[in-house]
Amino acid sequence: MLRSFKEILEAARDGGAKKVAAPCAGKKDVELLGKAAGSGLTIPCLVGDGKAIEGMLKGVPLASLEHEIVDEKDPDKALGRSIALIREGRADMLMQGSVDHQALLDAVMDARSGLRRGKLTSYISVFQLPKTGKLILVTDTFINNNPTLAEKQLILEHALRLADTLGIDAPKVAALAAIEQINLNIPSTLDAAILSKMSERKQFGKAVVEGPLDIDCALSEAAAARKGLRSVVTGNVDIYLVPEIDTGHLLAEALVFFGKLESAGAIMGTTNPVILNVPFVSAENRLVEFAIAALMCKKGEDHA
Amino acid sequence: MIRSLDDFARIAREKGPKKLAVLAPEDEEFMLAVKTSWQKGYIEPVLIGNTEKMKRVAEKVEFDIGGFERIVGDDRQAIADLGLSMLFSGKLEIVSKGQIPTSYIYRSIIREENRAGSGMTVSVVSFWEVPGLDHLIALTDTGVSIKPDIKAKAEILKNALFVYRLLGNPKPRVAVLSGQREIGGALGSYRDFDLLRRAAAAGDFGECEILDATSFTEIFLGGRDRPVDCISMDPGRMPHILLVPCLDTGNIICKLDFFLDVTRCSLVATSRGPVCIPARSDTSDNIVQQLAMCVVVTDRMKGEVK
Repeated sequence: MLRSFKEILEAARDGGAKKVAAPCAGKKDVELLGKAAGSGLTIPCLVGDGKAIEGMLKGVPLASLEHEIVDEKDPDKALGRSIALIREGRADMLMQGSVDHQALLDAVMDARSGLRRGKLTSYISVFQLPKTGKLILVTDTFINNNPTLAEKQLILEHALRLADTLGIDAPKVAALAAIEQINLNIPSTLDAAILSKMSERKQFGKAVVEGPLDIDCALSEAAAARKGLRSVVTGNVDIYLVPEIDTGHLLAEALVFFGKLESAGAIMGTTNPVILNVPFVSAENRLVEFAIAALMCKKGEDHA
Repeated sequence: MIRSLDDFARIAREKGPKKLAVLAPEDEEFMLAVKTSWQKGYIEPVLIGNTEKMKRVAEKVEFDIGGFERIVGDDRQAIADLGLSMLFSGKLEIVSKGQIPTSYIYRSIIREENRAGSGMTVSVVSFWEVPGLDHLIALTDTGVSIKPDIKAKAEILKNALFVYRLLGNPKPRVAVLSGQREIGGALGSYRDFDLLRRAAAAGDFGECEILDATSFTEIFLGGRDRPVDCISMDPGRMPHILLVPCLDTGNIICKLDFFLDVTRCSLVATSRGPVCIPARSDTSDNIVQQLAMCVVVTDRMKGEVK
């Protein structure tokens, strides 16, 4: 079981460098790719105007490391070309580069020419808890606005796959809601209860889903006990499943900015890993995202 | 201006004791909080609940309740109704929740507000004390409205502004929070932000400033394309009030005090005085802080017109 970002980086390096397609990489991307290549995680494949890329590489660390340039003068085609490289098996993963977020996701989810694997993609934030020496996953914190129950099931299954990639055995899942009791007027409590019941019937394998759980019960076994709630999940959660994006996005940000937690993340639901620029992930931790992506590649088809 | 929970405690000692109804203090943590608050001179309790249960927990925390007014009651809703009717009739100044579901208390408050014709929307304001920050952050609505529409959000904001101004800040800064990101189109919460900002500019909320920021990234970094820096937090950039999009978000974020280095205190501001609504998972120390806050708020509400 991986317990820290350092362990993720080490485990990823063991799997060998993966080729990452980078459409329209900017200066910051080149800097990051240099670090990723320098640490043995990736072999960058820069897709864009060849001459401009060569100019950008002058004097930067990446210039002296293994890399590839795919000349595509039309910036509008660089993303499609990058995805094609992956579909042809010439690259293992995709990074956002300077492509617009929505354009990237639309291209990735294109049924004919994208990297779509299932019905939806989701984004999982991975946090490192220094005090307890463990990793926690929070999902969905970036992609799905108001997932239906069926979509929440897929988001949960994505998280369970990532947990498996990170070596978290029999993950404990808190299906979060405002309160820990089922209230017919609060849809998140119903969804959480149904997922919890599905877990009871072993529909999520060894994972234990408890819900609805309010955040105090999820975070503290003692708080849960005071409310008469006893479960292996309370106070020892591996995966926090949030009700919708307002909560997910703000919760992840609160953990980063108020909690000062290190955060990385991963897109799930694609044939190959896709690395997204999420504003609350630091430049340093973007490297961890390459490492998570590399671990997903190592795992093969069942990664996402 | 009140800037910390210690300020509440200090002022509560000066302004107390206030007459307070405790609804079903049938749990040791709650009874211990009542005992401590009484010893500190914050409150003069009126205990409403099951006599035997109250006696039993009082004995456990070594609190002699023989000298206090006690009203026998078993039915949870009836206890909540009685406490709130006493608040609205002026028989006491504060009500505090004990071992009673919060929804019962909200129901009683709404009934009393309707009876009083105040037109007030019931909402919860949760204060966060964050180390290194020079003011308290008020999160709202963290307890009542499941999915407030724009009209309800405007009322919720008015309530929070009223409470924050009682703390001595005439022009609070507000962030209307949303999960709006670079993808997924415009969220309802983001559209509400836009509408509330326009309403604020038109003077609908009196003196206040609604920030051009809906996420913590924007609040902390000043934009969504800046390098993440968690070390430095500019207190000047942190709003006084965070208006949350919905109940799920509000409750989940505000109770992060179980994990983060923050302290939380919550209250419901009714038109007649505060209602203290500690979570059933709160400890007695935390409940004492919340009672102190309510003592100060009720004291400052005197003379104010909501």
